[in-house]
Amino acid sequence: MSFEAISARRRHLLSFLTLVLLLGASLSMQYLLEQRSQGRIAKLEQLRLLPRGEILRPALLGYHQLGADLLWLRVVQVLGDRVVRDKDYDWLYHALDVITTVDPKYVYAYEAGGIVLAELASRVDLSNRLLEKGLAPNPASWQIPFRLGFNHFFHLGDHSRAAEYMAQAARIPGPFPIGPPHYTARLASRLYVQGKNPEVALEFLEAMLEQTTDELVREKLQRRIRRVSLERDLQMLERQILQYADSKGKRPASLMELVSARLLPGIPSEPYGGDYLYDSKTGKVMSSTHDERMGVYVPADSLATRGDIE
Amino acid sequence: MRILSIAVNTFRENLREKLLYNLLFFALLMIGSSILLSRITLGDYHRLILDLGLASINLFGVLIAIFVGIGLVSKEVDRKTIYTIVSKPIPRYEFLLGKYCGLVITLFANTIVMVVGLLIVLQVMDVPITSLVFKSLALIFLELMVITAVAVLFSTFTSATLSAIFTLAVYMIGHLSGDLKEFSKKLDEVSQMVVNAIYYTLPNLERFNLKGHVIHHLDFGMADMALTLAYGLTYAAFLLLLASIVFQRRDFQ
Repeated sequence: MSFEAISARRRHLLSFLTLVLLLGASLSMQYLLEQRSQGRIAKLEQLRLLPRGEILRPALLGYHQLGADLLWLRVVQVLGDRVVRDKDYDWLYHALDVITTVDPKYVYAYEAGGIVLAELASRVDLSNRLLEKGLAPNPASWQIPFRLGFNHFFHLGDHSRAAEYMAQAARIPGPFPIGPPHYTARLASRLYVQGKNPEVALEFLEAMLEQTTDELVREKLQRRIRRVSLERDLQMLERQILQYADSKGKRPASLMELVSARLLPGIPSEPYGGDYLYDSKTGKVMSSTHDERMGVYVPADSLATRGDIE
Repeated sequence: MRILSIAVNTFRENLREKLLYNLLFFALLMIGSSILLSRITLGDYHRLILDLGLASINLFGVLIAIFVGIGLVSKEVDRKTIYTIVSKPIPRYEFLLGKYCGLVITLFANTIVMVVGLLIVLQVMDVPITSLVFKSLALIFLELMVITAVAVLFSTFTSATLSAIFTLAVYMIGHLSGDLKEFSKKLDEVSQMVVNAIYYTLPNLERFNLKGHVIHHLDFGMADMALTLAYGLTYAAFLLLLASIVFQRRDFQ
């Protein structure tokens, strides 16, 4: 029986079925090919291969913003990966540098890139370099000096620079979110006066958390908040122990004695679910989950990157 | 038999096309210019010659496929010759298939001319000719076949200009669709399904791109090659069947 002899209805049905069959076959072959080539070229390697921004810019034929958007999309895909090696952050910085050269006014790329480089990668140097690059082309943005202020305060322990950046952010006019949040000026003045206080850091961090909607960044900030709360509690306990020793002439035998002496309403709960361990010989309090203290709040001038174990 | 005679006729007709020779001339010019460029470059001139040669064959092949493919049906409609054909006892799908085969033959002849040009350049410049070069060329031709099928599909229901734009768009989308898959990973489940459905329905033309493999001497196994060939042919068959169904229903007035 030839094709023409089949009735029109059956012919339609037949061609439709073949169509579906062919699509299904090509689909499954696509899938197979994909499985075979999975992970051959790591995504980050592709970022490394990006040409320099100055060279890429003319090639975009005026579609700079779109180009920056597409590159940003690629970077964001990498940020979520669980395993990122240390040297990969150099590629990440390179990609962010390219994006911000292609579109120098992409404030969010500076902002989020700055946070990720500092908080996720512990590369404050790269974070500051990226943010400082964004200052000149974006004089109306408070976000960039705000993050720079945070980096200088939190990571570098340079409180006077931090206060200067914060004050710069506070000078941008306009209501939030065009202008800075209302507490920026207060933060700047507190930084000038008492930079080493963990309470100030917590205030700073809570402020940043309030502005951020991105889950990844929020999670990072929440981690920091927990760590700094731990430090705040430890300092508070030690202060009370000193006060106890001053009034009674000897150190308390246990932390509970501070509560019974009405110096504390209760022992604060450890933010990681551990316990506060008290050494009555030295008067020091430690956490059962972290055996190092955060350097930046201790009067000695040291970097803050130590002791952030999680 | 009828398909073959339509194919041969289409081929003969295409040979009269002036655009074809222009494109071919520029392709050969570019392949040949790599000899000059390789004199002024530093370091790996093998790479430059292969890069430029394969890229020219690919690019001009696509241009020929698009600009010759789009006129396939619309030209017949414009010249009113379509009436004499559809009134003959030839099923429309045979007509379409014959046209497609004629185009593929045209493309094949063109590709052969360009490949011979490239091989001469490679031989003259002492660049080693590996099996990968031929694998890459085969997949370039497969890509041209898919692009032609896309052009034929569009030419069955739109004007020549529109189908040129659409086919160029599909060509670009086909090379970028890998990103679609990459970006979908961060979406919620429903959107991910939608994006994946779009991704798998669109042709993934990057699969036919072995230019990087040739330059960097990366191996491309026979199994991968067979699977890619099967994928390309199946996708082209799918497009042609779709084109036939559309063409079958079209009313010529």
